[in-house]
Amino acid sequence: MDTLLATEQLGQDPGTPREIESPAPTTWPLILAFGFTLLFSGLVTSMSVTALGAVLAVAGCVGWFREVFPREHEVAVPVLPDDFRASTERRVVDRLPVAAEQVRAWLPVHTYPVSAGVKGGLAGGIAMAVLACAYGVLKAGSIWYPINLLAATAYAESLKMGPGQLNSFHADGFVLALGLHAFVSTLVGLLYGVMLPMFARRPIVLGGLIAPVLWSGLIYTMLGLLNPLLASHIDWYWFVASQVAFGLVAGLVVARQSRMLTRENMPFAMRAGVEAPGIISPHGEERP
Amino acid sequence: MSSDAITIPALQIQEKPWVDLLHEWVTTVDHKRLGILYIVYALVFLVFGGIEALIIRVQLMHSHNNFVSPQVFNRMFTMHGTTMIFFVVMPVLFGFANYLVPLMIGARDMAFPRLNAFSFWLSAFGGLLLYFSFLGGSGLYGAGSAPDVGWWAYAPLTARAFSPGHSSDYWTLALLVSGFGSIGTSINIIATILCLRCPGMKLNRMPLLAWLNLVMAGMVLIAITPLSAAQIMLLIDRYLGGHFFDAQAGGSAVLWMHFFWIFGHPEVYILVIPAFAFLSEIVPVFSRKPIFGYPVMVAATICIAFVSLSVWAHHMFTVGMNSYANSFFAITTMAVGIPTGIKIFNWIGTMWGGRILFKVPMLFCLGFLFQFLIAGLTGIMQAAAPFDWQLSLSYFVVAHFHYVIVGGILFALFGAFYYWCPKMTGRMLSERLGRWHFWLFVIGFHMTFDVMHIPGLLGMPRRIYTYEPGRGWDTLNLIVSIGAFIQAIAILVFVWNLISSYFKGAKAGNDPWDAWTLEWSTSSPPPPYNFATIPVVASRRPLWDLKHPEDPDSLYE
Repeated sequence: MDTLLATEQLGQDPGTPREIESPAPTTWPLILAFGFTLLFSGLVTSMSVTALGAVLAVAGCVGWFREVFPREHEVAVPVLPDDFRASTERRVVDRLPVAAEQVRAWLPVHTYPVSAGVKGGLAGGIAMAVLACAYGVLKAGSIWYPINLLAATAYAESLKMGPGQLNSFHADGFVLALGLHAFVSTLVGLLYGVMLPMFARRPIVLGGLIAPVLWSGLIYTMLGLLNPLLASHIDWYWFVASQVAFGLVAGLVVARQSRMLTRENMPFAMRAGVEAPGIISPHGEERP
Repeated sequence: MSSDAITIPALQIQEKPWVDLLHEWVTTVDHKRLGILYIVYALVFLVFGGIEALIIRVQLMHSHNNFVSPQVFNRMFTMHGTTMIFFVVMPVLFGFANYLVPLMIGARDMAFPRLNAFSFWLSAFGGLLLYFSFLGGSGLYGAGSAPDVGWWAYAPLTARAFSPGHSSDYWTLALLVSGFGSIGTSINIIATILCLRCPGMKLNRMPLLAWLNLVMAGMVLIAITPLSAAQIMLLIDRYLGGHFFDAQAGGSAVLWMHFFWIFGHPEVYILVIPAFAFLSEIVPVFSRKPIFGYPVMVAATICIAFVSLSVWAHHMFTVGMNSYANSFFAITTMAVGIPTGIKIFNWIGTMWGGRILFKVPMLFCLGFLFQFLIAGLTGIMQAAAPFDWQLSLSYFVVAHFHYVIVGGILFALFGAFYYWCPKMTGRMLSERLGRWHFWLFVIGFHMTFDVMHIPGLLGMPRRIYTYEPGRGWDTLNLIVSIGAFIQAIAILVFVWNLISSYFKGAKAGNDPWDAWTLEWSTSSPPPPYNFATIPVVASRRPLWDLKHPEDPDSLYE
């Protein structure tokens, strides 16, 4: 077994050599470095310093060359006896039996596949978009209003629009807003897929309510400082409602996906689905 | 050729005449000795840079002060910045990398031992050349002595019309020479890590310190090159009639800014990534848990390195770039916060549920975590171009980057000293003096750099020589200066701890922290050859496997 081999090698190995060859000490790197520095220093002192630097640099190069050719100059260093014994101050702990031949469990034992996060993110994104568009129609008088506002977070041209232009369709702003929304929704969905299994108790309360309210609060406090013009256009009640809609739908969709065993400690090839005989542990694929 | 045997320093160091000892150190190609030389050299320059900082703080302690002349003040802040970045933090980090990387990957030395010595001496002579400017900087013109153009050396300040004499040339040449040394060391680190890992140490089993130094070394190769190129261009401008940075003759002063910051901002990450590396080794050992999210930590580091190469112009928001450039550099700068945040979460995740031992190395790491978080937040604030327009070139920015360099990197470095000094010297550093050092430094640091944000917000410009009374800056500057002196006292405690523990400290033994990486399997200090038999590893924590054969990591990786 690998571990036993490591144990033997790190401890007292009967095959330990009596002496070891190491590179011999040499002054040539020092001389070359000094010559190199003087070579430049002549610029601010005198040409004679440059000339001295050139001589030392050439001598350093020649000496260094002779140090390694035709054969590297080495010295034999006697090996010292080393009484290293592996020991630990770690207390002995009781172990909960999790499976045969296994003394560790990877938590969480089950998790969601990546696809669950993507599905949740996209579904949450749709829910958020529906609510935001409803706000646009009911309160701002145009479905394009929230879309142009979203584009304005990253697109200076959208931020320059007057009230009338904010209510009209702009292809560039629409494409940007759509891409941005899909991208960020998917990323947050992925985060949900990773984090929800870690919060086994009431994941929907966390993902659907607490997290959206927290990040809404962060955006509310930061946006006034970073982009007050954009902040002045936002109706924060509707904003929070749309974030909560995202969180609830994304959380529900993720939570309804079937779980799988955590595969964190499996070899990358196995996780990637590559057929590579010999990489499966003798303990078998099934583990807690 | 191979017949002569060298002596073993650990056994015979006390018996040798000092000339022989000096000769051994000067001619050494051993990575451990070169690492120690880097560290000692950096500590000496830390004293120089620290004295310059104290002179700056005395000058600013109250309004209308004339402790030094404006000319000397300009030299002090230029030399302080240049010294601390290029001749303290970089060498000390290279020193730790030199010392630790071969030990941690189970190698006997660096890949190119002689290049290693050459690189160190280049760095050392670069620093000496810079400080020789105090004597020789006036040159033929009798103007100035040490460089006084700020550590960015912006054009056109460096043009001959504004910088006669040789002071700027000393700055240029010193950084050029030491830059070649940095490139040599980086090539060595990369070659060592890629080619000399012991059997079984795949890339995904490498200690995070080795991984992060690999990334750092790659960044040095990318970042130092444009700086060296710009310095050669500046020399051409000053000596051969070139006009690269001469706006009146078709050149561009902004070109220098781009060249400098293409180096300058990645440089911040070049300095902080090894600090991350220290945390990634120290926090798990003192939490008694393996690092949380090893692959993510590696990925986040690579991500930081990649993104940090595209953020440089956030230093130039006030130059007057167009809105697209401002938006791009604002977004990329904020984006660096994501992988950095991942790292902070992972260190907290490592501590979470662990049995935390509050030894001095861990205290410094906890200080790092808290302070680096705040530094990151003020960094995000300044990433917003409109915010930066208000506060750029103010003391707010000075406070921010000192929070990164001192509150982050220096705290991690102190942690590294307390953690690895027992390995280097065979003696434990005093825990009691270490706690004094920590708490004095924390108090001094927060007095200085927390308070320093406020005069910046009130409009105090950086590099200002003195100021009018009645602007609300006096008391704040006094507190900042007092804090600086408390930090200096803390550093003295640290130096005393290093010296006294070297002679009288408790014996460290091989593995004083009950740690898990390979350097702790050798004696303290390690023999010249590191390992009599090259180890074979089967997991990221080979010493854990050795100590717990009933539950080795190798079964789970």
